[in-house]
Amino acid sequence: MSVAAHARWRRRALLAPAGLLLAAAFVGPLLLVASFSVLEPGLYGGVEWHWYPYNFGRVLGAPLGDVEEFDAAYATTLARSVKLALLVTLVSVAVCYPAAWWVSRLPPRRRALALFVVTLPFFANLIVRVYAWMLILRPTGVLNLVLAALGAGDAATDLMYTEAAVVIGLVYVLLPFMFLPLYASIEKLDPALLAASRDLGATPAQTFVRVALPLTLPGIVGGAAIVFIPALGNFVVPSLLGGSKVMLAGNLIEQQFLAARNWPFGAALAMLLLAFVLVVMLAAAWRRGTRGAVA
Amino acid sequence: MTLRVRPLALYGSVFVLLLYAPIALIVGYSFNANVVNMMLWEGFTFDWYRAILGLPTTLGRAANHVDTTTSLRAAVVNSAVVAIAATVVSTLVGTAAALALGRAPFRGRRAWQGLLVLPMVMPDIVLGIALLVFFTTVGLPLGRGSIVVGHCVFLSSYVWVIVSARLAGLSTDLEQASADLGAAPFTTFRRVTLPLLAFIISLDDLVITWFIAGVDATTLPMFIYGALRRGIKPEINAMATLLLGFSFVVAATGLWLRGRRL
Repeated sequence: MSVAAHARWRRRALLAPAGLLLAAAFVGPLLLVASFSVLEPGLYGGVEWHWYPYNFGRVLGAPLGDVEEFDAAYATTLARSVKLALLVTLVSVAVCYPAAWWVSRLPPRRRALALFVVTLPFFANLIVRVYAWMLILRPTGVLNLVLAALGAGDAATDLMYTEAAVVIGLVYVLLPFMFLPLYASIEKLDPALLAASRDLGATPAQTFVRVALPLTLPGIVGGAAIVFIPALGNFVVPSLLGGSKVMLAGNLIEQQFLAARNWPFGAALAMLLLAFVLVVMLAAAWRRGTRGAVA
Repeated sequence: MTLRVRPLALYGSVFVLLLYAPIALIVGYSFNANVVNMMLWEGFTFDWYRAILGLPTTLGRAANHVDTTTSLRAAVVNSAVVAIAATVVSTLVGTAAALALGRAPFRGRRAWQGLLVLPMVMPDIVLGIALLVFFTTVGLPLGRGSIVVGHCVFLSSYVWVIVSARLAGLSTDLEQASADLGAAPFTTFRRVTLPLLAFIISLDDLVITWFIAGVDATTLPMFIYGALRRGIKPEINAMATLLLGFSFVVAATGLWLRGRRL
């Protein structure tokens, strides 16, 4: 056997386990869900194996010429999910950017320590981190106890089961996803460029907007994509902090699969969610592509 | 310059404080002796820990204490079995893939890299329902086995990324391939992780497991999630604190080892 042929066989053998695993338990299942989304729901769960486009009609309605099954509540829920996911992304950037800047300008030893300290909470179980905010936001929770202790008992608020609670919870849970890419791009930012900008007479604000921000945009875009995607599909945070008052796309999908047992409709919702994710990923990749061409 | 740095340092400290304060609250409350109102501090006790470990307590009936020790113990066992099995399998699968893709370029390498990145950028819930539909349609029973398969799908990708990075130093090729697919942040992420952390990621997963666990294979996160949906109870503080401590010790060890190799 030639050397090249040997290398080829070695490669095939090494890739076989991953190939089999991903074909059987990833690609196959995804194709199955995609086909379920255009099949008719069975009477008692399950599916009837024939063409049925109305699952999408229930959400999108008129554009598909389907007004009978259409219910605006589904479209509203999807729109609310996109709105809150965008809000979570914006808040995360705003909260993380100064912090990432701070860490990147620390002396090396302290920087390593700060990175460790910022990363560690990410390894706490997700459910534990969400629970922490239930303790804080519930009516008898820590927030109101603190307000009362400060003599501002009148200001006591019931944030539990509101959109604000869901946004706070999602930001807290997804923060490291935003912090790390931001840090990576701010760290690469050459301080000499900022100094040059100031020497040339730019105000600090101008320097930030025209030099720092464009140069760290890849980190912002990367962090935004990676925060937006899980924020859009998450159902644990809205179910615990939003209750039944703040339903999001994830809750809707979970319900269709585990409670309502309308799998084809759930599959259609999941496909719509994937479509949003695909748009975000392509936009992020395109953004990087054009930047790469300029740089 | 000093004027610009100080507010930033203040902000940074507040940022870190807010990051830890919520979880610190749980730890604090887990030792609260108040059996009537769990939010008001009334003294120090180990009773909640004793309660979840099945030891005798002085709680009395006032706490409306329901003994869930048996199901908690089952959930811990399920989580451990799943995480160990999924870590072993995905380390083998992911490392093999990294060895195959790390060498000289060949036709189709980019496609393989793209395929391996996808499970990490896919929303969890989509992967969860896809696996549920698949297992049910094929007729495979839901349980520990199905959870292990589900975890292996995304853990293999993590292991592949981490091992590839280790093998290649900084492979620009890999970075480019994953960046094209919107996964550039993950290449950042890999710098602070280690295959050991696959164990923590498996232990943490709730969403995918939620769909494919069936009725008998409740894991620890599922157990806590279920308990939280029924209402907050002081025992949950103790459970959460133990889980928190375990995750931090394993993760800190992993990060420390990673740091030493750099």
